[in-house]
Amino acid sequence: MSGRATPAAAGGNSAARQVIDILHEISTLLNTNLDRTTLSLCVSLIENGVNPEALAAVIKELRRESARLREDE
Amino acid sequence: MSTHRNERIDEGLSKLIEYILPELEDEDEDEALKENALELAQGMIDSHVAPGCSDDPAHIANIIRNKLIRDNRTSDRALRFANLYSRLLTLPLIKQKGAILHLLHELSDSDAERETISRASNGVQSTAIDSRAPSRADINPDTSRRPSKVTVESNDEFDAVAPPKPFLAADRGDGKNEMTKAALLANINQPTEPSEVALLKDLPFTLQGVSSKNLTFTNENTLKLPPNLPIPLISLLHTLAEPALLYRSLSAFVEESDSAEGKSGLVNQSLSAAIGNELKAYLSLVAGLEGEIRRASSVLNDDDEHGLAMRKAGVTLRRCVIWTREATMGLRLMSAIVEASKEKKGGQLISIIHAFSTSHGDPFVFNFAKRLLTSVTRPFYDLLRRWVYDGELTDPYLEFFVIEQSEEAIAEANNDRRGYASSVWQDKYKLDSDMIPTIMTPEFANKVFLIGKSLNFIRYGCDDSEWVEKYSKTASKELSHDDYASLEQNIDEAYKTTMERLMHLMNKKFNLFEHLCALKKFLLLGQGDFIALLMESLSSNLDRPANTLYRHNLTAQLEHAIRGSNAQYESQEVLRRLDARMLELSHGEIGWDVFTLEYKIDAPVDVVVTPYSSREYLKVFNFLWRIKRVEFALGSAWKKYMTGARGVLGSVADKVGNDWKVARCCIAEMIHFVAQLQYYILFQVIEPSWEKLIASINKPNSTLDDLIDAHKLYLTSITRKGLLGGAARSRQPETSFLAQLHEILKTMLSYKDAMDGLYSCSVAEFTRRQAASALIQARTAAGKWGVTEADSPYELAGQLKKHGGRPTLGDSDSDSDDSDDETDEQLPVIRARLKKLTADFQARTGVLLGDLASQSDMDMRFLGVMFSFNDFYIIKRGKGKTVVERRSAQTGKGDETPS
Repeated sequence: MSGRATPAAAGGNSAARQVIDILHEISTLLNTNLDRTTLSLCVSLIENGVNPEALAAVIKELRRESARLREDE
Repeated sequence: MSTHRNERIDEGLSKLIEYILPELEDEDEDEALKENALELAQGMIDSHVAPGCSDDPAHIANIIRNKLIRDNRTSDRALRFANLYSRLLTLPLIKQKGAILHLLHELSDSDAERETISRASNGVQSTAIDSRAPSRADINPDTSRRPSKVTVESNDEFDAVAPPKPFLAADRGDGKNEMTKAALLANINQPTEPSEVALLKDLPFTLQGVSSKNLTFTNENTLKLPPNLPIPLISLLHTLAEPALLYRSLSAFVEESDSAEGKSGLVNQSLSAAIGNELKAYLSLVAGLEGEIRRASSVLNDDDEHGLAMRKAGVTLRRCVIWTREATMGLRLMSAIVEASKEKKGGQLISIIHAFSTSHGDPFVFNFAKRLLTSVTRPFYDLLRRWVYDGELTDPYLEFFVIEQSEEAIAEANNDRRGYASSVWQDKYKLDSDMIPTIMTPEFANKVFLIGKSLNFIRYGCDDSEWVEKYSKTASKELSHDDYASLEQNIDEAYKTTMERLMHLMNKKFNLFEHLCALKKFLLLGQGDFIALLMESLSSNLDRPANTLYRHNLTAQLEHAIRGSNAQYESQEVLRRLDARMLELSHGEIGWDVFTLEYKIDAPVDVVVTPYSSREYLKVFNFLWRIKRVEFALGSAWKKYMTGARGVLGSVADKVGNDWKVARCCIAEMIHFVAQLQYYILFQVIEPSWEKLIASINKPNSTLDDLIDAHKLYLTSITRKGLLGGAARSRQPETSFLAQLHEILKTMLSYKDAMDGLYSCSVAEFTRRQAASALIQARTAAGKWGVTEADSPYELAGQLKKHGGRPTLGDSDSDSDDSDDETDEQLPVIRARLKKLTADFQARTGVLLGDLASQSDMDMRFLGVMFSFNDFYIIKRGKGKTVVERRSAQTGKGDETPS
């Protein structure tokens, strides 16, 4: 997990961690069901200019797919 | 966007996919799946190239906070979020804070939503989107426009750029992402029977109020929807059914009023015509709609069961609702107007529509009603024009606010007012305030009413239709609702011209002013020399019983009086109208009671001097005539006694001198009374009122109505203040001023009669003495004793008194002898009568003065002061209580009084 958890820019690990902490807390408040890894991936994507709505749609779709795949199994 | 960025995105996406999707056992399959997913994810993200940089973090935070409050009903989570959010803001590391929050918000789902998801088979997508849209709209009305617009645009773009295709698994219908709402709707509501496409095809017919296969009108205002439709569709159809049903009822209304042509009013007809025009516009809209639907359905292919292609062409039921929205509003408004206008006509109808055009805040309604008003008011303005410029009322349906009274109504009105005889000016037309449309103010309507009335009056009352025609030709202008200011100006102009003309006619052609002057001169006794002469020449005639009077005598005397006085210089026009006549005779009356002067007034001056006021004039005249008569009688009596005092009376002063003294005092009192009364009426009442009347006649811009009012006021003030109107306000008719004055005047006349009796007594006494002294002289001349035993002791006593004896009035009465019976018995009777009448007069005057002192009117109180100048009557006035006591004693006495 730690390996994946550092995709953010080289702005100091502690600062990045703080950001992810806060965002994770918000996401739990909002019941987004995102774990820290996914969250940090999303943050980096968005920082790179991805449209949040599109990203949200992608994530939802992926989740649904995975749920289906798991059911199939 | 730089390639570097793209690479990083791709990298991130693949990591994400790897992380989320489970590992498949088959590596190839796994790889293919993930590659596929990556590709699609890229596609989706590319389609949203425009980064959401416009997302304001504060805005999205606000949305989230509200959502938290809404979902949890408590604020602790929202508080926590606010806390976290403020911490987040301080971190410099990430730039796209808003975007990240947006993402989190997108992915969030509340408990309630989760339940929905578990129930609904069709997944998270739609509910998530659905729940988002209203939340934005609801919570932030001021800022909601921007985000929702963005969404719509992006949706359209998405649809256009990347046509919906199955994501991952081609067999799943709901697999595509980010669809238009309509598509989602169609997906949720699996093929319906009948399909939306079929309904769309039927829609134009329905909108025209025609039944179609799927949508049938079961009766006048019911539209039957096919069963088994999903609820959203039904609600759409409900919305669409409204214009259809409204159209049906409105077209029924138009048809009905078309068939009833000639029965309903002109304004109603123009309303139905205007509505017909609006309906035509509506039909052309429906035709356009039909064209759209046709065009859309032509690209339709059979296998497209959801009508997606049609949707792409942009024609859906929902869109139809939008398209027909404005028209529906119009139809609704018209329907409301039609509902409200039942049983209404003319001005009231216009008022209803006008209310919509002024008091409604919606500019659409305002403009619509205004448009409608312009066409609806056309017949009304035609009427107005004819009325204002021709003075003609052509209103077969009684729609105008001026009503022509029928003969019966006029007669009825006259009966109601008892005595106010009909007048063309007052009664022919009436203003009906209910029918005044609200487009004009009451004052304005009144002006219009006056103009028309005046024109009509000029034409028919004054026989001057030539002028009216010329005027209507030159001045007539088109009146319409478009320009109220100029309308007002036109009306004002017409008002001015008409009024000027009418006043001109009244003054110049009909000599109204001259007539008023003549009335004052003759009937209100303004022309003193004429009245004096008339009275002098008539007095001998009038003293006789009424039934011996002949009219030709009276007119001859009148003629004589006119010739002999300054009245001869009056114009022939005026003199012609002056007439002397007798009132209806009743038994036992003398000429004085029935004689009256009359001044004949004919049309059109009788508009001002109405028959009612003529009668008032007569009343005033009769009262004044009576006073004059008393004055005349007292004056002539005074003259007689004064001459008598120097001759006849002086020689009998020893016997009746005291009586005469008292009587002269009393008659002087009476003369003073009458003089003051006359002065008061002529100079305190008539002249000031006349001044006022002249002032109001000469006022610029005065109208005939003003004139009538001024004259009425003039006459009322005369009748009221001249004590004649006192009856209306006093408690009992017998105690009214008029009655009191009549009594007092009567007393005066009786007193004068009694004095005449006294005078003839004195003359008889004088004659007897003359005879006696002649006898004595004759006897002396014959050488006999001047006085013999045979002479009456009375004579003797009289002679003794004359020759220095002290006059003792009482002692000779008892022993009077037969030959002197008449005189000697009469004298005490006359004395008693004089005494009684004096007391009577003084008592009555006292009562009158008491009443006058308590009057509210300044002038009347002043009359009282003049009567009892120097406080002559001070004892008799006293306080209210004593006055009342006096009066009751008085009435008791009055009953016994023979009069």
